[in-house]
Amino acid sequence: MEFEAVIGLEIHIELKTKSKMFSSAPVTYGLEPNTQIELYDLGFPGVMPSVNKQAVISAIRVCHALNMKIDDTLMFDRKNYFYSDLSKGYQITQQFRPIGREGHLTIKTFEGEKDIGIERLHLEEDACKQLHYSDYTLIDYNRSGIPLIEIVSKPEIRSGEEAAKYVEKIRSIVTFLDVSNGKMEEGSLRCDTNVSVREKGSSDFGIKVEIKNVNGLTNIQRAIDYEIRRQTEILQKGEIVKEETRRYDENKKITVLMRAKNDPVDYKYFTDANIAPIKLSKEFIQEAISTSPELAEVKKIRYLSMGLNEYDSDLLISDVDLSKYFDEAVRSGANPKLLANWINVNVRASLKRLNISINEFPITPIHLAELIKIIEKGKISNVQARDLFMKMLEKKISPNKILEESDSTQISDMSTIQKLILETISENEKSVIDYKNGNERVVGFIVGQVLKKSAGKANPALTSKLVLEELKRR
Amino acid sequence: MGYMHLGLLDIHEALIKNKVTPLELVLEAIELAKKGTNNCFEYICEKEAIEKAKKLDDSKKDNILYGIPIVVKDNYSTKDIPTTASSNILKDYVPIFSSEVVNRLEEAGAIIIGKTTMDELGMGGSGSAGHLGTTYNPWDKTKTHRIGGSSCGSASAIASGIVPLAIGSDTGDSVRKPASYGASVGLKPTWGRISRFGLFPFAASLDHVGYFTRSVYDSAAILNVLAGRDEKDYSSSFKPVEDYTKKLNEPVAGKRIAVIKEIVDAINDQDILATFKNNLEQLRQRGVVIDFVSIDYKLLKAIYPTYIIVSSAEATSNNANLDGVKFGLREPGKTYEEILKNTRTKGFSKLIKRRFIIGGYSLLKENREELFVRAQKCRRLIVDAFNSVLDKFDAIYCPATPTVAPLISSNLEAFIGDYSIADDYMAFANMGGLPSITLPLGFKDGLPFGGNLTAKAFDESNLFNLAQAIEDSTGLKDLVAKEDE
Repeated sequence: MEFEAVIGLEIHIELKTKSKMFSSAPVTYGLEPNTQIELYDLGFPGVMPSVNKQAVISAIRVCHALNMKIDDTLMFDRKNYFYSDLSKGYQITQQFRPIGREGHLTIKTFEGEKDIGIERLHLEEDACKQLHYSDYTLIDYNRSGIPLIEIVSKPEIRSGEEAAKYVEKIRSIVTFLDVSNGKMEEGSLRCDTNVSVREKGSSDFGIKVEIKNVNGLTNIQRAIDYEIRRQTEILQKGEIVKEETRRYDENKKITVLMRAKNDPVDYKYFTDANIAPIKLSKEFIQEAISTSPELAEVKKIRYLSMGLNEYDSDLLISDVDLSKYFDEAVRSGANPKLLANWINVNVRASLKRLNISINEFPITPIHLAELIKIIEKGKISNVQARDLFMKMLEKKISPNKILEESDSTQISDMSTIQKLILETISENEKSVIDYKNGNERVVGFIVGQVLKKSAGKANPALTSKLVLEELKRR
Repeated sequence: MGYMHLGLLDIHEALIKNKVTPLELVLEAIELAKKGTNNCFEYICEKEAIEKAKKLDDSKKDNILYGIPIVVKDNYSTKDIPTTASSNILKDYVPIFSSEVVNRLEEAGAIIIGKTTMDELGMGGSGSAGHLGTTYNPWDKTKTHRIGGSSCGSASAIASGIVPLAIGSDTGDSVRKPASYGASVGLKPTWGRISRFGLFPFAASLDHVGYFTRSVYDSAAILNVLAGRDEKDYSSSFKPVEDYTKKLNEPVAGKRIAVIKEIVDAINDQDILATFKNNLEQLRQRGVVIDFVSIDYKLLKAIYPTYIIVSSAEATSNNANLDGVKFGLREPGKTYEEILKNTRTKGFSKLIKRRFIIGGYSLLKENREELFVRAQKCRRLIVDAFNSVLDKFDAIYCPATPTVAPLISSNLEAFIGDYSIADDYMAFANMGGLPSITLPLGFKDGLPFGGNLTAKAFDESNLFNLAQAIEDSTGLKDLVAKEDE
């Protein structure tokens, strides 16, 4: 019997708005616990929610990128359950009227392009962060109320690879739209996976297993593929898969049981009366979309039209910050093709070597653009360009300034150099004869001697020009 | 002597003429509060009030609330002052912020001298369901009749002459019913007219800020202070605030009042009926057009169960923050679940638990359609029926209660057996968010009863205008049952 997997993904994405979803508390990461909070976030009796407009704009942009129908009425519902990380005993979400419905996105796998349907996208608020110790738990309310969007795929994903590609694409969308930093390792993009296996061709669904909070694209792919194998083996033995929640053990590379799902929680949803339905005008929605930052695909088309090749374009759009860096350098007048090559070769190599992100890169896009302009004008050789690049990395100043500085220590005064040349030639009369006899290497030798005499301060380009002239004159 | 038995305007005048100081008023009110035997108070803010009275900024002297001692129901968050909602689960809870209502009152110069008792968390209308036990009706010296709730302490405090303004809240009829039993003027304006920020929610879609005064004028003047958009309450209205006292004394000739026939028919008390009909006659003499109109009996009968389902469902969620972790009572336990269970078991009374069970049950997946969604639909039908009457009339007018204050020994929380449609019909105004006012109509055996007038949403000016005509015709205002009389 042949089996196939049915996979659905629920992705939670933290939005990087200035303030929280329903309160005026700031959204700032990495600060002291319980300092980024307002009354609302603690769930005091009598506090009330106010909807964050920027979060709504962000959600509309993502909906649009995912080809979704956008609801023109904004409504919020309460999801009721008790948990220590939930300050009010309910979470405000959009159960009945998600802001986005019926979307899809195209992924590229080794087998070609595939369309994945998206069921819904809704806005909600995050819960607290908890730190569990052996006999107590600490609660950090900084995360309480941070805006989230949840994107729920249709069960149309069939493999770990497809799932990883889907998540990668969503991450690209939210980072390029600048609505989230999309970092899985920081929890700003979290992924819950539902996996079931059924007889191939069947229209019924198998019993589904949920894998919670898998971190990183590779792990998503591995966890799903492992889970598909596990469930297939169970079915092949004629046994029944148990409905349960599992987690992925990164070290052992297996999924392990977290809890059995015998009694699913009833969230007792109902509409939150404190937020009267908000009408979203066509103009508001259109404005949110038209002012939206460029998506990766759009950027790629633009890059190709600048003359970049497919490979360089793909590398640049693999990271939103890298593409932003590129865009800024282009704006500063760098030749796009030459620039792309430099970024994809030298900049990326340096990032890797220094183990930093492009945002921490010491050379600004403006300075890199200056370097590209210097190279383009043919002022320096490739070797000199790379040397200059290394100096820029180290000194964090503009390449022109570095050149100026080295110029000032260099001897560029022709008469001084000429004097050294005459001195050197008179000490090596034989080399003139060699040159006359056709030995070109003599030039390099004399230049080297002159540079040595000047303690390396003579301008090499000028020196070699003058040496050549002198030899020809003889 | 003293001033606390007077209406706001009279006290205000005495203050302006320097016959009395805010501090003297506060001391008088606190003394009355301490001497009171009706169990009105959760907390008397003696120190805080005296301090405020001493520091009062007399540039606000023109404000009608300047220097006026008031009381506030214990479900309004008050900074640095204990706020328990008369529930053990919030015993010792001291909020770090004040509700918008409290802020606006204090901004206007009012001085809170106490937090008043209530039915626990606003649930139950008996005036006996708070953690301090029964609050009494000052009109009944035998202490056997109810004042009604849930704003029992505020209703009792104003009726017993302690303060001229008492803030309550109204989810079903929690201001307007005790106003009827206590001979005061009880108002809840349109939903969204006054910010609910800092009011402990019972059922957000039905909750209203409300208050007790001793005259229609006072009621209108206080709305001027409290009404208006508040950024902290997203549901508060942007509609401009009117001067609600402006049209009070305009002629009412030609205005149209609807009396709901089925509600009046359900009242058996002949004295109440006679007084009510007499008042209708007085209004006719002022040129008011009065018609008896019908609303489907089944819809009227559905008001109470609809109210119970909707409000209890919302209440389960609104009180889910009371888990023993962040504030209020905490009972020990080894896990979060244990703390939660132990705290809520000990912190809530049986009545509250029963309401939570009803609410939770009606929201369960398997019951949702049959109970919660059906109640929502029913709510819509009820509101539509009343609104279609209001399409043709300026207001709906009926006796607020079918009887005078019932005996404390009667059981109000029995959800079985028959009930009169005249008992709890006023919740229709909560379902529709309509402005609604109860004012004194008469007395029977020394116990008061009131009439209730309800108008279209945001038509408060019209409501006050008609209410003023009723007050003028009955002559019943500034009624106080003094303790020593």
